[in-house]
Amino acid sequence: MRLHRYGLLLGVFLVCLLLLTVQTRGGETGRAADVVALLVTPIQGLLVKVHRGALGLWTTYVDWKSVRSENTVLRAEAERLKLQALQVEETRQENARLRRLLALRERLPLSALAGEVVGREAGGWVRTLTVNRGRGSGVARQVPVIVPEGLVGRIVQVSARASVVQLLNDPASTVGAVVQRTRTLGLVEGDAGGAVRLKFMARDGAQVAPGDIVVTSGLGNLFPKGVPIGRVAAIQDKGSALFHFAVLAPAVDFARVEEVLLLTGQTQQDMAGLFTPDG
Amino acid sequence: MRALFLLMTFGGSLAQWSVVPALSLGGVTPDLPLIVTVFLALRRGPETGCLAGFVAGFLQDMAGGGLIGIQALTKALAGFGMGLLVGRLWVASPLVQVPGLVLLTLAEGLVRYFLLQLFHFPASLGALMLHVILPQALYNGFLGSACVLCTIAAVAMRRRMWT
Repeated sequence: MRLHRYGLLLGVFLVCLLLLTVQTRGGETGRAADVVALLVTPIQGLLVKVHRGALGLWTTYVDWKSVRSENTVLRAEAERLKLQALQVEETRQENARLRRLLALRERLPLSALAGEVVGREAGGWVRTLTVNRGRGSGVARQVPVIVPEGLVGRIVQVSARASVVQLLNDPASTVGAVVQRTRTLGLVEGDAGGAVRLKFMARDGAQVAPGDIVVTSGLGNLFPKGVPIGRVAAIQDKGSALFHFAVLAPAVDFARVEEVLLLTGQTQQDMAGLFTPDG
Repeated sequence: MRALFLLMTFGGSLAQWSVVPALSLGGVTPDLPLIVTVFLALRRGPETGCLAGFVAGFLQDMAGGGLIGIQALTKALAGFGMGLLVGRLWVASPLVQVPGLVLLTLAEGLVRYFLLQLFHFPASLGALMLHVILPQALYNGFLGSACVLCTIAAVAMRRRMWT
């Protein structure tokens, strides 16, 4: 056993010695060295291929690892940029809204105060907005509230720094209105379902048709004349009843109102020309 | 047995070409085939250690493009020597194995240097010892201790699974 063990060592030693001798005897021009080189070169070529393959495998793994971490970083960056883009878009839209509001305020022949919506109540029992203008800003009850698209409602409650606006579609809201084309007078009311409808006398409103624009009548001096309320969407003909109803598509999307103008002054002028269909 | 031998010897050489360059610390790389040779010698005795060292060294010589047979001989001697120590010294403890690996790397480096001297190797021993052999010996010791700990943990886990 021991002999076998040392025999193996001796064999290995001799093989190595032989290899070394063959490679070095006679310099680079030796025949034996050439033979070794001839035998070894293809094996070395194979080993280089294996080496490259192994290195490639390892590099792929390292790349995969770095791609994963890079992916995490890029995802976070993408999220951050997405958020930033949303903020920019939000600011852009707010800017556009405020510009339109400012342009309207400059066109108005009466004093107006800009306010920001700070609260909403749209549960059905009441439909109101809260704006950040109150008694301190000179706001009083019944002040009309408008946006560039048209009438929003009126102030029904005032505190020191905020006011509550009753929306047109509040069930308790009534506004004197007129159909622009036919000059048919009526009352715009809200209902519990959130719709807005025009109640008018059947005998005066036979010509009212879908698409007609309804504006404030200015009667009662509460709302200025000519502020858009909405368009007639459908007529509810009650046959021989005294009053008919027209369902209106409000000019203002109450859910999206964010900045408003509070009309603190008064005017007798018809304001219909100050509002454009696109606000 | 043969499969393990081949797997470890060729796997170690393959890893030396692929993974080890990535483990380089200040230009110093561990000698993975030597570590594999030592582990095989410790577990299987001098014959396996000698053969593993010869094959691993031969592959390293071939891949390195230098004199074929130098590392084959030094690693075969290292494997054989380590295998002989199994019966004579208490080498089962990691506390012996790791310093043993450091010393063996130093010895292997010295033998390789003196062998190369026979073929007019130009570098000085001092510089080689300072910049190559000693750092590599320490690195081998560090990596060897990590391997030993991993092996112990794996064996313990296997025992726990069987009981």
